Amino acid sequence: MRIVHEWLAELVDVPADVEVIAHEISLRGFELAAVEHGVIDFEITANRPDCLSHLGIAREASVIWGGALKPRPSGRVESDSVIPVRIEAPDLCPRYSAQLFDVTVGPSPSWLVRRLEAVGVRPINNIVDVTNYVMLEIGQPMHAFDLDKLQGAELVIRRARAGETLRTLDGVDRALDPEMLVIADAQRPVAIGGVMGGANSEISESTRRMVLESAYFHPPSVRRTSKRLALKTEASTRFERGADIEAPLEGLARAAALLEKIGAATAHATRDVYPSPRRPLEVSLRGSRIARVLGTVVPEDDVPRILSRLGFLVTGQDASWQVTVPSYRVDVTREIDLIEEVGRHHGFDRIPVTFPPLDVPQAVPDPRIERDGKIRRAMTAAGFSESMTFAFVERAAALPFCRPGVEPAAIENPLSEKFAVLRPSLLPGLLDSCSHNRRRGRKDVRLFESGSRFGPSGERRAVAFAWAGERTPGHWSTQPAPVDFFDVKGTAELLADVLGAGPLDFSTSAAPFLVRGRSADVGTRGYPVGSVGLLDPAIATARGFPASEEIYVGEIDLDALASVVDAAELRTHALPKFPAIVRDVSILVAQALPAAAVRGTIRSAAPALLESLVEFDRYQGKGVPEGRMSLSLRLTFRSSERTLTDDEVEAAMSTIVEALKGAHGAERR
Amino acid sequence: MSDSSIDSLREQFGRELASAASEADLRAIRDRYLSRKGGLLSALLKALGTAAASERPRLGQLANTLKKEIEQQLDERIAAAASTRAPRGAVDITLPGRRPAVGHSHPLSILRERIESIFTRMGFLVIEGPELEDDYHNFEALNMPPEHPARDMQDTLYLSSPMRSSAGSPATLLRTHTSGMQIRYMETHEPPVRLIAPGRVYRRDNLDLTHTPMFTQVEGLVVGEHVALSDLKGTLDVFVRELFGQERKVRFRPSFFPYTEPSAEVDISCAACGGNGCGMCKRTGWIEILGSGMVHPAVFESVGYDPEKYTGFAFGMGIERIALLKWGVEDIRLFYENDLRFLEQFPQ
Ligand SMILES: [Zn+2]
Repeated sequence: MRIVHEWLAELVDVPADVEVIAHEISLRGFELAAVEHGVIDFEITANRPDCLSHLGIAREASVIWGGALKPRPSGRVESDSVIPVRIEAPDLCPRYSAQLFDVTVGPSPSWLVRRLEAVGVRPINNIVDVTNYVMLEIGQPMHAFDLDKLQGAELVIRRARAGETLRTLDGVDRALDPEMLVIADAQRPVAIGGVMGGANSEISESTRRMVLESAYFHPPSVRRTSKRLALKTEASTRFERGADIEAPLEGLARAAALLEKIGAATAHATRDVYPSPRRPLEVSLRGSRIARVLGTVVPEDDVPRILSRLGFLVTGQDASWQVTVPSYRVDVTREIDLIEEVGRHHGFDRIPVTFPPLDVPQAVPDPRIERDGKIRRAMTAAGFSESMTFAFVERAAALPFCRPGVEPAAIENPLSEKFAVLRPSLLPGLLDSCSHNRRRGRKDVRLFESGSRFGPSGERRAVAFAWAGERTPGHWSTQPAPVDFFDVKGTAELLADVLGAGPLDFSTSAAPFLVRGRSADVGTRGYPVGSVGLLDPAIATARGFPASEEIYVGEIDLDALASVVDAAELRTHALPKFPAIVRDVSILVAQALPAAAVRGTIRSAAPALLESLVEFDRYQGKGVPEGRMSLSLRLTFRSSERTLTDDEVEAAMSTIVEALKGAHGAERR
Repeated sequence: MSDSSIDSLREQFGRELASAASEADLRAIRDRYLSRKGGLLSALLKALGTAAASERPRLGQLANTLKKEIEQQLDERIAAAASTRAPRGAVDITLPGRRPAVGHSHPLSILRERIESIFTRMGFLVIEGPELEDDYHNFEALNMPPEHPARDMQDTLYLSSPMRSSAGSPATLLRTHTSGMQIRYMETHEPPVRLIAPGRVYRRDNLDLTHTPMFTQVEGLVVGEHVALSDLKGTLDVFVRELFGQERKVRFRPSFFPYTEPSAEVDISCAACGGNGCGMCKRTGWIEILGSGMVHPAVFESVGYDPEKYTGFAFGMGIERIALLKWGVEDIRLFYENDLRFLEQFPQ
């Protein structure tokens, strides 16, 4: 709201220069947007429609500088029933006032034009300009109809009828519906109540007789209508936040005085329809409550002084007051609203600095926060940088990550196609980030993200990672080796360890976004928790990643993992007292035989003395028959009670080799 | 043999020693001069027999002196050369080291952790909650009934069809602030309350230098029997100066939020101009970083707290904005592009 310094000074004494006025008022809750050429632009918060006027700001100034509001010239208001006004929808229009004028339409005098222009309002003609002037001065929006253009000299305030339309003053044809309030003549709508007038009754050069409307409209109704029509006006902004229901007659009187002063009109009869007048609102205010909320004692005399300057009527004593709220203060309905008024004019800078008492120890933070911290430390230590991507993505980017036949959750009112659906996985965002880095010449990219994803079972937490390029950072001493399946498998295992989720199971994956044969579903204790593997190159290239390069990815559902995490307290094992015996064995088996099958056979054939076994070589090629592979395993035997003998271990090894021969046709090399 | 042949051998040795470039050269010189068989000094001593008998003792002494000189000089030079010789298995320590691959934490995580740690030390609990919300927890319980004009302050993204949130409740929208979590907390806990609620929030804002449709918020809430606006000032004063530096000044300005009353915006003195006014601070000397206020009694009523008995304060900040200010980042979109050249500027 732009406030013109000289205009403000007509309403109240402001003994300060314009910069000081701007600064002082801004510290009372009106953020300063700009000050230039004697015009101060304040941002008015949604709760203070009364300050969308010079008068509202003048009241604030009168608290600061102590000057009383000056009287404003106003014309006569004579009530009679010359204009038929009928309110058929009193719920949407509790008050409707109107006045008849004989008018001579023409340009406004230059002082009036200058003031409007200073505030950023375009001058139109002396009639419209005066209505705007009154609105900017006291906050009451008004609308002028050409009486001779009305079909049947009456005004009916009613809901629109289904199918009715109105061309508004901006030249747009508007379809109306029965939730909208219109001002109609005997035949048709001539204005949308509180929003905009119709072209069919517009004031023009030839207008001789005018009806000037000054009304109060129900805020939610104006808001709905304005939203539905996507039509925001100076009037609708004021009505939807709450105009002053006691101001319509004052508006007419002020307009009449101005119109006569500039020779634009002669005022005639006024009609005021106000079936159930507002009952004044009284609110109690306790000094003790002010002190409790603000944390400081406001001097007892200051409270009535501040409030009465703002227009409140204050009675009472001993720091206990009865306060009558003026009709324009629609934001004030209870004691706390008055405390705010007192606090803001007392000055926040005068409130001391204290610290809230700490009376109970704090509870344990959400475990997800500690979990995210663990993930971040483990993943950054493993070479992954942390990403953050938007929770919404393009539908096309999301689809490959949805189960077949499942649509990603759509946003009703997305900003654009790029943000149309909620991500079903964190991978589309990571893929785009990999492509972003690759396009900037970065080949080795390791990224992870932990956050929410949105699938058929709702919002769930997940961690995902993507790895492109080399397995280790390039170095002059080492041959480069590209990332492969076992890198992302190991990363998933690392995460499970860090989160205390125990050993993972890997099984053939059918995930549609992974390459078959180089991917796995991940589970633990029989529950599926995610998948790892090579991202389908068709998906990667569709998002701008080079077709010749590979991205390995993984994603783990943290909520699923959390449900199987063992919460038992850690118990340590004693260190072994007796030495271990280590034996290596190399066998030839069918190339397609999974290592897990070999491991299983060994485990079930071996005595309890087998402490651990691990594959340490896998070889195909020269010296190994076609279709077979050489697999080498290292077996560690140990007893917790004695030192083992070679004979015992040899016997165990023979049993194991026999079992491998029987189960897999293995030959020992 | 004569004095002159001794002198000329000394001169010759001097020249050769001067031109020796390596330890190998020095050893070759030693062999040539000092070898028992065929060394130049052995030859010189042998030639002693050719000198007059009366001269032999004197010339012999001179030749021995020369031999000692040569030995000493060679020993010194060889020892010096050996001390600079690379030991076995020596490496070129100027080649690049083999660093483990190390990733970097996202700046917003770093900042969020920092903020959490400041508040944790002040006794605040950290809670998390769902990113999908229902209208009640996002608006209505916060004193924003349907059609409330303040709903326009936060342009909301809605779901096409309701969905289960991570709190297990049916959700219809993407939360526009983390206040819903505070409502959920108060619904299930009695005062006193002292918590912060960090998380991602969503607004229907276009991407530009200073806006993203998703951003990270940290909100705080303190409720008790004796919590006043002065406590809000004290708490945020400590927080702001711990985060930005003790020399920064803090200002509280009245404002409006539907869920707090009185409400205040919190400004810090501009670091770029020291409060004198510059382009960064729109010539005001102050930069707005936080919204705050005393919890509106209507919010307490909606969670079943007695507003006569309890008072409280709440605050909220967008941490992207704080990161921009703190680290001089010029484009907020950098936080969501994950360009490694940007991320790697932050510590692990
Ligand atoms: Zn500055």
